[in-house]
Amino acid sequence: MTTAAEGQKTTMARRPGSGKRAALIFVSRYGTIIGLLAMIVFFSIAAPTTFPTMANFLNILSQASLTAIIAAGLTYTLVVGEFDLSVGFVASFIGLIVCGLMANQGFPIPIAIIASLALGTFIGCINGLLVTKVGINAVIATLGVGTILSGIGFSYSAFPIAVGIPRDFTLISLGRIVFGVPNPVVIMFAVLAILWVVLNKTDLGQKMQAVGSNIEAARLSGIRVDRIKLFAFMTAGFCAALTGILLSSLLGSGTLGAGDGYLLNAFAAVFLGSATLREGQFHIFGTLVGVMILAVGFNGLSIFGAPTHFQPIFKGGILVFAVGLSALARRYAASS
Amino acid sequence: MQIRGVEKQFAGEVALRDINLDIRRGEVHGLVGANGAGKSTLIRCIAGVTVPDRGTITIDGTELRHGSPRASEAAGLAFIHQELNLVPHFSALENILLGAPKATRLLLIDWKTSGIAARAAAERVGIRFPLETRVSELSVAERWLVMISKALVRRANLIAMDEPTASLSAAESEQLFRIIRDLAGDGVAILYVSHRLDEVLDLCDRITVLRDGAIVDREVRGKLDKKGLVRAIIGHDVGHGEQRERRVVPRDGTPVFAARGVARGEAVKGVSFEVYPGEVFALGGLVGSGRTEVARLAIGADKLEAGHFEMNGARLDVADEAEAVSKGLALVPEERRAQGMLLDQSVAFNINLASLLQLRSVPGLPFVSAGKARGRAEHLMKQLAVKAPGAGAKISGLSGGNQQKTMIARWLRPGTKVLILDEPSRGVDVGAREEIHGAIRDLARNGVGIIVISSDVEELAILADRVVVLREGHVTGELVGDEISEARIIELSYMHGSEIGEPMEAKG
Repeated sequence: MTTAAEGQKTTMARRPGSGKRAALIFVSRYGTIIGLLAMIVFFSIAAPTTFPTMANFLNILSQASLTAIIAAGLTYTLVVGEFDLSVGFVASFIGLIVCGLMANQGFPIPIAIIASLALGTFIGCINGLLVTKVGINAVIATLGVGTILSGIGFSYSAFPIAVGIPRDFTLISLGRIVFGVPNPVVIMFAVLAILWVVLNKTDLGQKMQAVGSNIEAARLSGIRVDRIKLFAFMTAGFCAALTGILLSSLLGSGTLGAGDGYLLNAFAAVFLGSATLREGQFHIFGTLVGVMILAVGFNGLSIFGAPTHFQPIFKGGILVFAVGLSALARRYAASS
Repeated sequence: MQIRGVEKQFAGEVALRDINLDIRRGEVHGLVGANGAGKSTLIRCIAGVTVPDRGTITIDGTELRHGSPRASEAAGLAFIHQELNLVPHFSALENILLGAPKATRLLLIDWKTSGIAARAAAERVGIRFPLETRVSELSVAERWLVMISKALVRRANLIAMDEPTASLSAAESEQLFRIIRDLAGDGVAILYVSHRLDEVLDLCDRITVLRDGAIVDREVRGKLDKKGLVRAIIGHDVGHGEQRERRVVPRDGTPVFAARGVARGEAVKGVSFEVYPGEVFALGGLVGSGRTEVARLAIGADKLEAGHFEMNGARLDVADEAEAVSKGLALVPEERRAQGMLLDQSVAFNINLASLLQLRSVPGLPFVSAGKARGRAEHLMKQLAVKAPGAGAKISGLSGGNQQKTMIARWLRPGTKVLILDEPSRGVDVGAREEIHGAIRDLARNGVGIIVISSDVEELAILADRVVVLREGHVTGELVGDEISEARIIELSYMHGSEIGEPMEAKG
């Protein structure tokens, strides 16, 4: 008797529920893209002369490019099921070091950049070793490494390094070599394309996805889990270093803590991206969508003359919203 | 306590069927049955962890509310599970009083007053160590005493114990039995769950046997011997059903895989066996007998303490799973969900996970060919009759049997020389089970060394050409060809420590 009644209840409850669920899944898959398009349409109608112009779009893209590069690296660590809270500090630190190498050591620009990228990758390697070989929780390990870096940066140069930097260095970020498109935008698309191909088209990328999906299954399938994670952390370090270099080039100086703010932007973008197209999985295209949402939002806010303190409100709000959306999507994907 | 008509189903599978059971004050009641017979489910129902679909449980005339661990505790029921739920860095005293009402003074716990009851309980079970000792410093036997004291402090009148002697020495077991009898003498009811039939026969006043979720036999002490108990556990329809022609594979030449006295800790104590090409080799025994642990040692998940493995006559040393796989040794794990499948990925992704190198579009370049990957997946899905909407469908939507076929398909590749399958047909329906068995036999025929691990004696009897049975980390016997029967496997599985080493080995 009781079970029959209960059975009826559940079948009756399922019908209205399934429609709601389908809607939720739809929102969780396409919500971010729809949101991005809606923002673009809204700003275009509200500010027809200033927003929808080629110049402004290039402006948005170049504002987005640095965040996109650092976020793409961060995406790799999240794909393998880890975290990297040091990326913002790495960007700041490398931004300082690259200027220092040129100003104090007199390194030529290419050597300074290569050395800085190598250093960033090495820091990522340390993060990875702390997490995989020592077994420290990634949040703690990367936060610790990041904090140490900010301290070293302070002792290296408490004041901005602005004197003695070759003028050509600033042209890296300010130049427009390809069809008048700002260089950072070109670099962003190149980096994202490479990371996308590696993640989706190579066996290394498939192994990364496997490690993030089920580490035990990956291990039993003969995948060297630690090495895969190490690679992800090194990629994150490399991307953070690249962002730091581009940032210094943009500012024309190496400034303490200049890149710290990228951490939150990158996280917001990556989590927004994980709620795009695939339920709760991290992927490069999603990250790009996430970055664009932030950039379009910031741009729109400034066009309408919103006070600057609106930016953190928007950023924090959208991060919480994005993570919530992603968590919901994951839960529904798991229950289906 | 009275249990009336308790039933429980899990996802359409009957776990408990019309259970009626009385447990009286002052009796030691034994509960036995094979793995999966429903013992744990029954205890979970009584404990309030699982909600039964129907039926009632009454204690001293009051009906127990289902699904409430608090209600069960308040009714005077206490449960001691194998993995003793103690807080390791608390003292024995703190553990005994954990969760129990304590005397307080100014909102702070008055340990002195509270301790009196705890010390009385400790004395009753014969605790000789100071109660201030941290639990992490206590032996397993001492922890059991702490758990029993904990139950007594809460004035439990029924204590359920799950495999209490599993990790106790003979002397420690004796002490525990004395305490159990004392408690029973004081009017406490004991529900004693164990695989050690001799103990159960010796200790319990009454014995209830569960099989396939139903009570098949109950007897008072003295009316039942070990043989009868074994018969009740496996049922009377032994040997009936799908018997097949067994192949006794000639054992000349070198074994494809061998264990030579491998050991680690308490779980595996010197296990040796040989697997020859062409035969379906199986490891039998109860859960906890060391089968899965042997598999973990073989694939390098745990480190060997003694002995070694051999592949094709050569010593095989693997540092980790990746090296095992690269040397041709693979495991289809017991926990499909937790250890096998990538639930958010497609069937094809899951099948190809261990073959990515062979699927490169151009050897030497790191790019995986989508066409080759899809082709291999579809070919294997056809070969193993995996029913799925397509190779791109998510694996989470497949039935258990098709998921398991996918796990086997992962290892159908040239590099696999030895495949260990742990519980290959768990959670799989009968039809898929036959197909999986067919696939396993095909693999063996093609020269892949096969090691099947199963708790399901029926499965072993149907599938295996040779069975080595483990009991508490030792080999208790080896059965070949027609010697293999459910009864023989069960008998060897339950063979007690003292009998090991007697001439039980039947060589083919």
